[in-house]
Formats: sequence, C-alpha cells, structure tokens
Amino acid sequence: MNWSKLQNVDRRVLYVILLVATSLGLFLPSRIPNDPEPAAKDLYALLMQLPEDKPVIIQSDWTNSTRGETMGHLEALCRILMSRRIKFVIYATADAQAGQVALNVIRQINEERKKAGLVTYREGVDYIYLGVFPNAEGAGQNMRNDIRKAWGTRQTKVDGQAGRVPVFDTAVLRNMRSVSDASLMVVITASATIDVAVQRLSDKVTMACMSTGVVAPSLLPFYQAGQLKGFAGGLRGAYDMEYMMAHGINYSPTPGQEPKVTAEKFGEIPPVPEGKSFERAARYFGTLHIALTLLILAVVMGNVGMFVAKKKAKGGNN
Amino acid sequence: MQYLDTGPFGILVTLMMVAFVLINIFRAKGSKGLYIRRIAGLNAIDDAIGRATEMGRPVLMVPGIGGLDAVSVQAINIFAQVTKTAAQFTTPIRLCCADAAVYTVAQEVIRDVYQKEGMSDRYDSTSVQFVSDRQFAFAAGVSGMILRDKAAATFFLGAFFAESLIFAETANAVGAIQVAGSTQTSQTPFFIAACDYVLIGDEFYAASAYLTREPVLVGSLVGQDWGKLAIICMILLGFVTMSAERLQITNEARVDDPDKGTSKIVSVAEATKDQFRERRKRASDTVVHRIFNPIRTEEALDIKREKDPNFVPPATNGAEGNGTEAAGGGA
Amino acid sequence: MIELLAQAPPPPSFWNRPPYSPELYVMVIGTIILGLALFFGLTYAPTRLKRPIVMTFTFLSGLFYVLLWLVPTPLKPKEPGELPLNPVDAAGIWFSDALPRVADVAQILSAFLLGLGIFSLLTIHIRKINRKQTDWGFSIVLLVSMVLMLGFGYADWIMKEFRDPLGLLQDSSNWTFVNQMSDLLFDGILQQMDAAMFSLIAFYILSAAYRAFRVRSVESTVLMASALILMLSLMGGVAYAWGQGIDALVIGTGNEFLNNLKITEVANWLRTNMQAPAIRAIEFGVGLGALAMGIRIWLGLERGGVSA
Repeated sequence: MNWSKLQNVDRRVLYVILLVATSLGLFLPSRIPNDPEPAAKDLYALLMQLPEDKPVIIQSDWTNSTRGETMGHLEALCRILMSRRIKFVIYATADAQAGQVALNVIRQINEERKKAGLVTYREGVDYIYLGVFPNAEGAGQNMRNDIRKAWGTRQTKVDGQAGRVPVFDTAVLRNMRSVSDASLMVVITASATIDVAVQRLSDKVTMACMSTGVVAPSLLPFYQAGQLKGFAGGLRGAYDMEYMMAHGINYSPTPGQEPKVTAEKFGEIPPVPEGKSFERAARYFGTLHIALTLLILAVVMGNVGMFVAKKKAKGGNN
Repeated sequence: MQYLDTGPFGILVTLMMVAFVLINIFRAKGSKGLYIRRIAGLNAIDDAIGRATEMGRPVLMVPGIGGLDAVSVQAINIFAQVTKTAAQFTTPIRLCCADAAVYTVAQEVIRDVYQKEGMSDRYDSTSVQFVSDRQFAFAAGVSGMILRDKAAATFFLGAFFAESLIFAETANAVGAIQVAGSTQTSQTPFFIAACDYVLIGDEFYAASAYLTREPVLVGSLVGQDWGKLAIICMILLGFVTMSAERLQITNEARVDDPDKGTSKIVSVAEATKDQFRERRKRASDTVVHRIFNPIRTEEALDIKREKDPNFVPPATNGAEGNGTEAAGGGA
Repeated sequence: MIELLAQAPPPPSFWNRPPYSPELYVMVIGTIILGLALFFGLTYAPTRLKRPIVMTFTFLSGLFYVLLWLVPTPLKPKEPGELPLNPVDAAGIWFSDALPRVADVAQILSAFLLGLGIFSLLTIHIRKINRKQTDWGFSIVLLVSMVLMLGFGYADWIMKEFRDPLGLLQDSSNWTFVNQMSDLLFDGILQQMDAAMFSLIAFYILSAAYRAFRVRSVESTVLMASALILMLSLMGGVAYAWGQGIDALVIGTGNEFLNNLKITEVANWLRTNMQAPAIRAIEFGVGLGALAMGIRIWLGLERGGVSA
C-alpha cells in the first residue's frame, strides 16, 4: 500500500466517512460516564442554590441552526428552574426567530412534565416571555439604566385570563425594581451577544452563560475575572449539566457510595428533585465521541502520509 | 456612565487612550516614513489580485455579517484599496454584503474608487451585492457564488461567525488564494486552519494604515501601541501591588450588600461573626479592587430631590409612547 | 406609587410629548420638514459642501453618545414629579430620556436601507433572467421564494394578529391553507435549511483540520498537540476513563502529583493559562483598534475609503 497517499485524501471521501460514522453514534449508549468541567460545576451549583423567591432572567440568543448544542442548554436550564419552582423571564436579542424556538422548548418541557404528573409552568404566572429586543447593545444599556423603563412597555398573556397585562403587573416581575433584583441572568447564545451582556450588566447582576462550543473559549476571560460565575460550553457543557442533574455534586444516593461527580469547593449539591435529567445532550454525546475520534484519526492519518512521503523523497534524493 | 458604580478610573483610562491616539495623529501629520512591521497577509493582496488577473477570474470580498459599525467600515476601507489595485489590473470584483446599510456604503465607496482611478466605465453596478441578512442564507449564497465564479482570490475581513469556515473551505475547494481576518477571536482559529493568510486581532485595524501609509492612520496606530504599553504597565503594577497587599494583615473587612448595591467597611470580627480580629487581606480588601468597585454608602445613594409643584400625575393608559426597547446604534 | 409609575406613560419631557397633544403634532411636522430640508440639502448641495455636512452630522451623532457616557447616570426618582438636584442631575435625566429616542433613529434608518438591499437583489436577478445569463434558473427560484415567503408570511401574520380575536389559530388543527403554507415555508424549509448549513461546518472542520494539523514546524506541532489534548478532553467518556486510570495510579504509587496528568487537568491548564490570556491580549488590541477607528471617524480625521 502506498501510505503517502494518506496525506492527500479527497475531501469528499472524508465527508462520506464522517456521515457514516456520525450516524453510528445513534447506536451508542446515552449514559456515557463523565467528569464535568469546573465551569459547568460552578453553574450547576449556582442554579441549585438560587433563592426561590427571586426571578431569573434568561436571554436566549440561539435559533434552530445551533439546536444540537443550545437547545440542550435551554432544556437543562428550564428543567432545573421548573423543578425548583423558580420563576423566570425570557427574551431574545439576536434574532427574531430566537424567541419562538425558546418558547417551543418551554412548551415541550411543560408537556413532558404534564405527562409525568408534575406541575407545569404557566405563562404570566411562572414565567414571562418578553419578546425580541432588536438591538442587544440598546437592550442591555436600557436594562442597566432602568429595567422598569426598558421592559415597561411589554405586555404578557396571563394563563387563565383574557387579554394581556403589563409585565410588571405579574407575579413574576412585581417586585423587580432594578436588574439587581433578579437572582441570576443566564445568557444562552450562539454569537457574541454575551460580550455585550457582560459589558453592560455583569456588575449589576450575577451572570452565567451557556454557549456553543465555538463561542465557549471567548468566555474564559470573563469566567476568570468573575464576571461570569459559571458557564456550560457546547454539547459537552450540555451533557455536563444533564450528568449533574442526574448525579448531583458530592452526592451519594446511598451512604458509603462514591459520588459520581466531586468538587472540593462545594458541599453536597443534590440532583434535580423531579423530572427528566438525561435527554437531548445525552442523545448526541455518543456522536460527538465518534466525530472527535474521526477527527483525531484524520489528523494522525495525514501526518503518517506526510511522514512516509518525506521519507520516500529523502530516499529518492539519496 | 455611572461614576458611583465604577468610579472615575475607567473614564480616565479611556480618555488617556483617546489622548494617545490624538497626540500621535497630530505628531504623525508632519512626519513621513513611520515604521510598520511586515504583515504577510497584506503583502499578499497584490499577488492575489495579479493571479486573479492572469486566470481571468474575479476577486471576491466579504465584509462580515455585522451591521454598519467600526468593523465593517474598516473592512470596506481595506476593500477600497483592494478594489483600487483590481481596477488597475482590470480584474472583476464581487463584494457580498449581509447588511443593507453596509451594502449601501460599500456601493458608494467602490463606485468612488473606480471614478478616482478614471475607470467609471469599468464599474459594474452589480459587483457590489446585497445577498441576504439571514446568516446561513448569506453563507449559502456566497458559497454558491464562489463555486460558480471560481473566484481566484477571496478576502474575508470583518465580523464573522459560524459561516467563516463555510466560506474558507469553499474557497479552498476552488483553489482561491485567501486572505482573512476577523475581530471575533472565536473565528480566527477556523481562518488559520483553512486560509492562506490571516490577520489576527488588531492587525485588521492596522491594515488600512499599512496599505496607504497615510500619516493620520499610521499615527493612530502608534497611539494604539502607546495604549497597549500603558495596559501592560497597568497589569504589571496591579499584579505587584495586589500581590504585596494580600500579604498584609488587616483587621478591617469590606462587606457588600448586593441587594441595595452598597458596601461598608467593618471590623473583621464583625464581618466574620466570630472571635477572629485580623486576617490576611483578601482580594476584595485591596486598593486595586476598590479602584474598580468603589465603596457606595447608603448615604451616597440616598438623595433628596424636591417635588415639582406643577407636576400632574399622568393617566395610566398602557404602553403608548414609551417604546424603550429599540435602543442601540453606537457612536 | 412606583408600581403605577412603571406602567404609566413617562412624564412629559422634550423627548416624550403627551400622546395626541398639539405639541406632539408640531414636533412631528417639524421633524418631517427638517428631514426633507436635509434630504434636498444633501442632494443639491455642491460636492465640496457635502463632506462638511456629513461630518457635522457624524460629529453630532457621536457627541450624543460621548456625552451620555460622560454625564453621570441619575439615580432613579423615588416618586414621580421630582425636580433635578442640580444641572448635572438635570443633564443626566435629559440624556437618559433621550437615549431610546435617539437609538430609534438607527433602527428606522436600517429599515429604510433594507428596502435598498431588496432593490439590489431584484435588479441583479431580474437582469440575469432577462439576459438569460448562466444559471438564470436559480434567479427564478430566488425571486419565487422571495414572493412566496413575503406573501404567505404577511398573510399569516395579519390573520393571527388581527383576524383571530379568540386565539383559535394558536391550535394548529384550526389552521387554514395560508397558515399551513407559512409554517411549511418557515419552519419546514427555512429553519431546516439553516440547521443543515450549520451542520455542514462539521464536514468543513474535518477537512480543514486534516489539512492544517501537520507536523511541519515546532509551532505547528505545538498547535497539533494542544488540539489533540483538547479534543480528547471534550470526549467525556475518554476523560473519565483516563481519570480513573490516573486515580488507580495515584493509589498504587501514592504520588499525588500524577493527578495533574488527568486529561481534564491538562486541558484546563491549557485553557486557563494559554488560551484565555491570548484571547485577552487580542481583545485589548481589538478594543484599542476600534477606539482609534471610532475617534477617526467621529472627528472626520480620515480621508480615504468610507470617509472620502
């Protein structure tokens, strides 16, 4: 076999191999053991320790194109908040579609909870959808200046009532005077809107982020500086969250049993008390393993081919 | 700006950076030949256009998918230079925009370049195109154009997101020479993996100074370098003072009340509610921390304004006239 | 009282005239006259005057944001109808009131410019079809898609917003042909194609990484090694198994230093000590570049390119 050909494999061949290989991921087990990232542990611990009487602000800036990663993030976040009965307000800034896809996720989790006989979240009572703010900069600046002015014109449906009411007349936002009255702001994003949110609001409200894998490295400076209290990046981050939702941190279901996830800086953080834990990210996580293995193999293959070709050329010269 | 939030430090540093830029612009106006280090990606522009001319294929440019801001304006400035060379070689160009405002400005600039070069008759009004403002529709449209026109040279400069690799790999597939640069650090690795030349970080902003050697632009570049030096000094100073201070023993502690947004200094014993009276300083006790997080007392936040005697409370009639959601823009 | 204030229209100010008041109409008419004057002024002004006019407007627009940034933001009133404490407080309140209105201008301009963008699309593709240039069939597909999407999209919006007071259309079983078509075009086609385009990146990453990560020099070897470590750390199963292996070694040898060789530890070290500082340094450079660019544009110091 001519090994040097390995350095010039046609890209179409690589694409076919990837297509076949990633399809195999569907047959991999969905409960792969894991050691979550420190930033994801921080985020999970933060969410599980939030006070129940203050709302959480969710800025959802992703659309269907990145649903493989970000939909898993929003699902995990909603499941945690709903299981702890924490009210939340959700809006989008990046894209007109972003609001609708976020609402679809809430609806789907509500249906799932209804089937399981759990309490569902009602619009205007447990959560509020504010709509889309076309300009992230402006929305952040206005929220910083005066949240009552920034959101004062928005109205919401209230479950069980006709018509719409101003959002500050609802149980979710009644006590909110400034953005600092929220216990946490989570930005779920596939773009640079997190930069804007950190610049405008991170000194006013505790902030965390859930982002695509590509955006995740740019969160590191914010996380190190304490502007983000935790983050989950990419599909790995989504699976980290689901894994901790199932196993908690430093938590043993039976005394004497080793906890599945450990972290020195926290005490015992329990798993989510109700509802699903493993879901979307668990379904895709096997595929991620296959794709990355293939990527590593391709890199090794290219280098072997190059090495052999170089050796041959050297032999030819001699 | 809320002085109570961040103190005057941030404003002073920003004003200092502005002063650095302005001083150097005025200094450079009189002088010539200020040195700029070699930037390979920009040196390759002429070669790339020359190659396109030889092959009889177009040069394709994309100023990112951001709105009309400093990044897009800089990208168009660079493309004006690229177009100038292309016009001299009579090489056809394509400039694809994802934002209508950027499209409008780009069209004016490119037309102007042809006019200034005395080649108005060679200007093709369809060479600057608005493709789509939806990210992936734009990616599909531009990729199609690269494949159909078999662009010989591509320039991807501006704010790029997930579409960066789609463009770069498609252009690679047709054998185009690629010069790319994004202000988004998350996209730079993709360009490095797939493109021939990449402008990293502020090389993007240095490009027009490098290509034109205009004193104003070169002076501003020197001002930026002064700014970087100042930041390096501040980081070193912060590192030394913070490290030294955290070795000190203190009997005072800072206590923040996040709900009220206030802070106060109390004794360590009071803050920790135990018998300890002193301890090593924590990060929150240091001068550096206090510079960025000034102490806001309850008294400072408790201001008393007089009541307007002519004030009539407005009627509560819903949401009219208070559309504060659509703020934005930027200077 | 604060509850009431939150929902009420803002107190009248220069930027907020009471709805339907004569002052509001005077302001609207005045603005239209000023806009028309500007439009014709710019159209018919001699070329040498155009640049100063544009520069003046650029400077004034920028000045607003600079002053907004420099003037302290006022503390929120405890109750409506409070007088400013001093001129600085008054200026802060004025700017705070003005911000949403001034920012609206950018949105309105963008909306108008979108029309120009659509005009560009139509011109290019209708010309292509007329002249039967290469691939003119694609242009027909584009125009037909555009018309269908606009038509069904608006019809669906009008039905749901204005013709459905009982909210029956919230339930998809009550949908008409228009609603179904809008759903098919938007959710069924556009959204899925968006997702498909994004997932293509996986293929491109594979071919780009295959070409780029070669042991050609010391730098490229370091790049490749770091990439391999990070890729391994992203595989939760591999990271876990590796960690278990190291744990067993630590127990066997009693050497706790080996814990540092866990793949997650190495990857985190790379991220926090290599990647994050590099990103931070690049961001400083980009920030300063944007600042310098902003000053040059604001003060009209550039001569070429966009400023020409």
